Amino acid sequence: MPEILTVATGLSEDSTTSRLAARLAAATASALETTAPEVTVTEINLRTLAKEMVTMTVSGLPSPALEDAFAAVQRADALITVAPIYKSQPVGLQTLFFQLIDDAALAGTPVLIGSTGGTARHSLAAETSLRPLLSYLKAIIVPTAVFAATDDWGADTSGMGERGGLAERITAAGAELAGLVHALRPATAEETEEQQHAGDRKQRAAQMSAPPAVRRGPVDALDPNAVTPFAELLRS
Amino acid sequence: MEIGIFSIGDVTPDPHTGQAPSEHQRVMNMIELATTAEQAGLDTFAVGEHHNPPFVAPGTPPVLLANIAARTTTLRLSTATSLITTNDPVNMAEDYAMAQHLSAGRLSLMMGRGNTGPVYPWFGKDIRQGIPLAVENYNLLHRLWREKNVSWQGRFRSPLEGYTVTPFPLDDVPPFVWHGSIRSPEIAEQAAYYGDGFFHNNIFWPESHTARMVNLYRQRYAHYGHGTAEQAFVGLGGQVFMDERSQEAVKFFRPYFDNAPVYGHGPSLEDFTAQTPLTVGSPQQVIERYLGMREWAGDFQRLLFLIDHAGLPHDVVLRQVEILGTEVAPAIRLEMDAARPADVPDSPTHDWLVERRRAGNDPVPGGRQNTTAEEDADA
Repeated sequence: MPEILTVATGLSEDSTTSRLAARLAAATASALETTAPEVTVTEINLRTLAKEMVTMTVSGLPSPALEDAFAAVQRADALITVAPIYKSQPVGLQTLFFQLIDDAALAGTPVLIGSTGGTARHSLAAETSLRPLLSYLKAIIVPTAVFAATDDWGADTSGMGERGGLAERITAAGAELAGLVHALRPATAEETEEQQHAGDRKQRAAQMSAPPAVRRGPVDALDPNAVTPFAELLRS
Repeated sequence: MEIGIFSIGDVTPDPHTGQAPSEHQRVMNMIELATTAEQAGLDTFAVGEHHNPPFVAPGTPPVLLANIAARTTTLRLSTATSLITTNDPVNMAEDYAMAQHLSAGRLSLMMGRGNTGPVYPWFGKDIRQGIPLAVENYNLLHRLWREKNVSWQGRFRSPLEGYTVTPFPLDDVPPFVWHGSIRSPEIAEQAAYYGDGFFHNNIFWPESHTARMVNLYRQRYAHYGHGTAEQAFVGLGGQVFMDERSQEAVKFFRPYFDNAPVYGHGPSLEDFTAQTPLTVGSPQQVIERYLGMREWAGDFQRLLFLIDHAGLPHDVVLRQVEILGTEVAPAIRLEMDAARPADVPDSPTHDWLVERRRAGNDPVPGGRQNTTAEEDADA
């Protein structure tokens, strides 16, 4: 039951950012459903957490709603993050969210980056700030990021016919994210045997390059049963 | 139950005037805070340790605590906190033992790692070694207060050969130690290992966070065989501003809150009082709120309030101390002492610690033989 989480900063009622996030989630879910049952999609709009994020930045105090959002990120099997580009950078609220979250919350999580903007001149903007930030948090970011310029919401603008429109890029990115989620799932015994006979080189390569140990989440640091015994701290 | 106040000696402008007291005045004010606390019937005054403006909390707390000890007779003295990372544990052993003698046993300590990065390099330490420093330094301090002719080697200070701290602790019984931490499980674990107390600042955090740290410490205290989880020594911080008319308290405190160094220009007073232990209102509201903490903290034995920060005028602060001492503390003490089971100890006094030593019941660091803790040591 994989859970896909979208974290987007959609600032208007009919935000293209939110729309792109939803489309990416749908594409991922659709690609995942061929191998995994009951995909759920949860959406977070950082607009609703804006003041609380600033409060937390200034005072250190996380509001209950922010803590719920952080917990959702921790839980998610895949994260799709979409931000509008303002003056050549993803809007500050988006990066602020990832600057407030616990260091370990995203580690090993498959992530897909999306962004929106006026024209294709900003299509690499998310690469210079969001990708490094998410890498610092040890997310596993799929290679393809999807940028939607205003005119992408009309007809295909790539001039490449079938292979370049927004719809195709969304489908491809969703498939990439789904593939990564699938590859990082601990394999069942039958699947392992199946894969050993699988002819698909890429799938086997993905399986080999993403050991299950990479995926997921810190043990709860405050669980009394998980604490490092003091004798070890004394020895080191 | 031990109820008192602590100060970190912040030199903060009054938002109404833009003026801050001089450093000299702030130091004198802290002394008056302590003497007023004794007169008002509070148990304890604790002071922090700082090494930079805008603070006048002492760089070496025993200097200030010795002065206060000479001016008081029953007031218990403590720190909030002593830096166990950037100080030399040999100096700490000497200076706090001296203060213990000067105060006739009214001294306890709370250990902390410090929240100001540059203090580490100013004292020749590496901030990345914060936890290892706290672990090694306290381990040495613990020995220095219990052994003579110590031979010791470690990573962070020069070796010792044939060293005895002077003066040796009063009646050979060291001051009680609390370990303070907000987020680090290693420190809760350290407190549990030694059978020392655990203190959580509490005041800038949602109670759910504090509860988990307290629970961790309690479980590990029991793991090390020092007693049941309920018998462990837990302390909490508090933060209040009071007026008999609760709306007046809110009205007066709001500009101080909105401009406060730690949380000013961020959350609203209403949000912050809802989400953290800050209580702005009547003494009765304070009593109820802090008694309510027993639900998740258990029979905590120490409660220290922060009341002199954010640029509040000195006379206003003294009035807060009086209200705390004459109305709030007696009510909280009464209920907590009545509710605490007979086999759960109160906050340790020197006499209690001497008696425990005499009875042969001092906690053994890491636990006695034949406890589950022994497996850790052998691992």
